[in-house]
Amino acid sequence: MANDTLTAGRAAWTQRLGRTLRHDPALAFGLALIGVLVAVSVAPGLFAGQSPFEIDSAAALQPPSAAHWFGTDDVGRDIYARVIHGARITLSICAGSLAVSALLGGMLGLVSGYFGGLIDQVLGRLIDVMLSFPPIILGIIITGILGPETVNLVLALSIVYMPVFFRIARAGAMSEASLPYVEAARSVGLTDGAILRRHVTRNVVPLLLTQYMILFPLILQIQAALGFLGLGVQPPTPDWGAILEQGKDYILFAPWMSVFPGLAVLITALALMLVGRSLQHRINRR
Amino acid sequence: MGLYLLKRLGASLLTAVIATFLVFVLVRMVPGDVVAQMMGQAGGTEAEAALRAFFGLDRPIYLQYLGWLGDALTGDLGQSWTRGMPVAGMVGDAFLVTLQLGLMTLAIATLIGVPLGIVAGIYEGRPIDTAIQGFNVLGLSAPVFWVGLMVLVAVSSAFSWSPPLRFVPPTRSLADNLAILALPVVSLALLQVAAYSQFVRQNVVTALHQPYVRTAVAKGMPTRIVFFKHILRNVTIPIVTFMGLILIQILGGVVIIESLFALPGLGRLLLTAIETRDYPVVQGALLVVVLVAMVVNLIVDIAYHVIDPRMRVS
Repeated sequence: MANDTLTAGRAAWTQRLGRTLRHDPALAFGLALIGVLVAVSVAPGLFAGQSPFEIDSAAALQPPSAAHWFGTDDVGRDIYARVIHGARITLSICAGSLAVSALLGGMLGLVSGYFGGLIDQVLGRLIDVMLSFPPIILGIIITGILGPETVNLVLALSIVYMPVFFRIARAGAMSEASLPYVEAARSVGLTDGAILRRHVTRNVVPLLLTQYMILFPLILQIQAALGFLGLGVQPPTPDWGAILEQGKDYILFAPWMSVFPGLAVLITALALMLVGRSLQHRINRR
Repeated sequence: MGLYLLKRLGASLLTAVIATFLVFVLVRMVPGDVVAQMMGQAGGTEAEAALRAFFGLDRPIYLQYLGWLGDALTGDLGQSWTRGMPVAGMVGDAFLVTLQLGLMTLAIATLIGVPLGIVAGIYEGRPIDTAIQGFNVLGLSAPVFWVGLMVLVAVSSAFSWSPPLRFVPPTRSLADNLAILALPVVSLALLQVAAYSQFVRQNVVTALHQPYVRTAVAKGMPTRIVFFKHILRNVTIPIVTFMGLILIQILGGVVIIESLFALPGLGRLLLTAIETRDYPVVQGALLVVVLVAMVVNLIVDIAYHVIDPRMRVS
């Protein structure tokens, strides 16, 4: 009996998902692409047989062919293998950094918006300072001054969009704090900390998650740009930005070195953007 | 409004001071300053201490900052540590290049992006809307510098022409200047056209669904008047705000495009200065970036008040 309701519940859930995807082909397409990207990141070996590190100077700078689908780079490494293996590095750096900024920015924003007062003023001023630089310039300052290491790259990428999460969490907490249920919770003796943790946060998290999806393509582009400027992941590690940086000097002789990693960034950003837009659409309608 | 603007200006200036201070501290915190780079292996000597004193690096950091701030207020940004030239001049020259690039991009993005967005919004859900939206999503997904690379490859293989590497200011030869800037502007504009058109479309769609538009149509008002008086007027305000945002975004994009096309703008100056640990130039360039962002936001605020009478009361 319990088993029946469980399967019925599951059926309803898959049906609902199926219906949503049929009505929103952009979302379905985006999710499918993200599925492929996740698979490639988890098991790159399944998609690319060649090594992303193997140097073969006899086969340097070859255009795309049956043996090397995306061609080879200046030391004869297979670009296809490098792009495929780069997915894991590029995407995990972006996903991780953005998660840090959502967590930190979100927490600070919640506290700032819920309690207001001096904390809010000080944090608000600091956030204004961060916002006074365009995101990419902020990234260049941090990675440029601290040095091009992956740790610094992650730090920079975590800071760049923190203000956005801060502002969203702050606005969310402020509007929640004025709702009657907060006053009711307070009058039955709940402490502010408990209200913030148990109720306000729960209502703000969906906003932060949506923003995460919306900012993901942007952070991906900044990551690639910093890599391109030589401030990101350093070669020979296969990272999309790093491959683009190496291709820069050969752009007119061996454009395939730049075409494919750039396309990888574009397609990933596209998939994330489609999903992010659809999510935002849904939240706005509610 | 005067009082409000004064308050805003005060807050922005405070932000700028904090921002420049943080940059000042950050560049000095990391090991390997300009002296260490100059001395190489011969560090730890009297010469090193003398050089530090020469650059003023031996003083407490807040005194160094106050000295810099005081000079900056009189327009003196110090001397470049690696090139010995006055920073104000270097930053000023570079800024003009970046400004030209930015304004040209903004003009193109506005002229193409706004009409595109309006058309998409009016024909919501029709094929032309789908096509424009498809373009928008692609334009927003493509990395700016990659678009630059691809444009470069496409143009050089199609016309066997690539832009000259030596920058020419428009005052010397406008034709040469435009030849150099054409590709960078196109690469930058693609993203901004997409961003603009997407934003305008959203606003037009929202305006079209407003009850007052329905009323205006229902009472028989000519479509043209509904469009200009009711829709366009309400869409203008967000467009102006967005223009400021786009300009700041362009300022960011310019940095990478400049290094790609070897343009002697603010972005390339900043990158080289960071590489060589030329602090005065880093500070000067970033000061300009912060000030530009500040001024743009202020102009947007003022424009707000001019366009929307409701804002004047509050």
